[in-house]
Amino acid sequence: MAETDRDEKVSAGYRALGSEEPPRALDEAILARARVRPSHWRVPLSIAAVVVLAVGVTLRMLPQRPEAESVALAPQVIQTPRPAAPVPAAETAKPAVPAASRELARAAAPAAPAADSAVARAAPEPRMRAEGAAKLSVAPLTPEAWLARIAELRKQGRTREADESLAEFRKRYPDYKIPESPR
Amino acid sequence: MLAYRHGDAGAFETLYVRHKGPLYRFVLRSVKVRALAEELYQEIWMRVIEARGRYSVQAKFTTWLYTIAHHRITDHWRKRGLQLVEADDADPPAPRAYEPEPRAEGRQDLQRLAAALAALPELQREAFLLHEESGMTLPEIAAATGATEAAAKSRLRYALAKLREAMGDG
Repeated sequence: MAETDRDEKVSAGYRALGSEEPPRALDEAILARARVRPSHWRVPLSIAAVVVLAVGVTLRMLPQRPEAESVALAPQVIQTPRPAAPVPAAETAKPAVPAASRELARAAAPAAPAADSAVARAAPEPRMRAEGAAKLSVAPLTPEAWLARIAELRKQGRTREADESLAEFRKRYPDYKIPESPR
Repeated sequence: MLAYRHGDAGAFETLYVRHKGPLYRFVLRSVKVRALAEELYQEIWMRVIEARGRYSVQAKFTTWLYTIAHHRITDHWRKRGLQLVEADDADPPAPRAYEPEPRAEGRQDLQRLAAALAALPELQREAFLLHEESGMTLPEIAAATGATEAAAKSRLRYALAKLREAMGDG
């Protein structure tokens, strides 16, 4: 420090203002904290906690096998809005979903996304059947896959189901040029 | 500090005893409120303790300690919406040659000195307190406050001129 930056009179006056010290309790708190050794476990523990959390979340997000199978057995349907009025008895007596629709639904079920499965789970099967086929729509299936399924039915000798399915197919895809074999 | 970093708790105690009074007064006279000063003072030491693993000998411990203190107090002013700016644009008054005089310990002189110290702009008061309490040189004050040496010198000279004037010696 250069001599020109010093002022003994000011320094003496400043020192005379007092020499406050921190309270003893503050000293003790700081010194106690300083004696605490840093924990070498802190970082590994935090990493382990993050890993456990990540695995837990992932497992919860994965589809559970038993539920997926039960969904696959149920028809994959999307429920249309229901009318407010009660369903007439005659309508409830109608036959269940046509065999072809059930077959298509069964074929499409494994590929259905989880959200659709949730819809199907929310609506019990017997009730859906009671509401009749007019209120149900089959889950999307590509024409090629549908025709392949019809061909498979014929191959298994399930001619009636194949015919019903083909009729349904024609309603859905009237302009589709069907190859000879599925007929 | 290196000894403390390597697990010697007693080394910290030695450092603490050496620096606690000057640092406490530096903080107390910077913020002027005892409860707040105690809170900031404790936080500064906590930062020292937490930073022990990162400490390396790049400067004197004193400079490092007061750099932490400077940052903590600057944060405090910023939280209160205060911006630290240079308060004087003109050249500082030329210091008079030192002439030995009787010590100015009269009550009135001290009251005026205390009032003038409290009224100093923050940066000038900081430079003065660092100089008086820690005995830091101008380059060390500049390093601790992130200023140029010229700026640190200017702040200190303004502060001294105002305090000298307050003591009836301007």
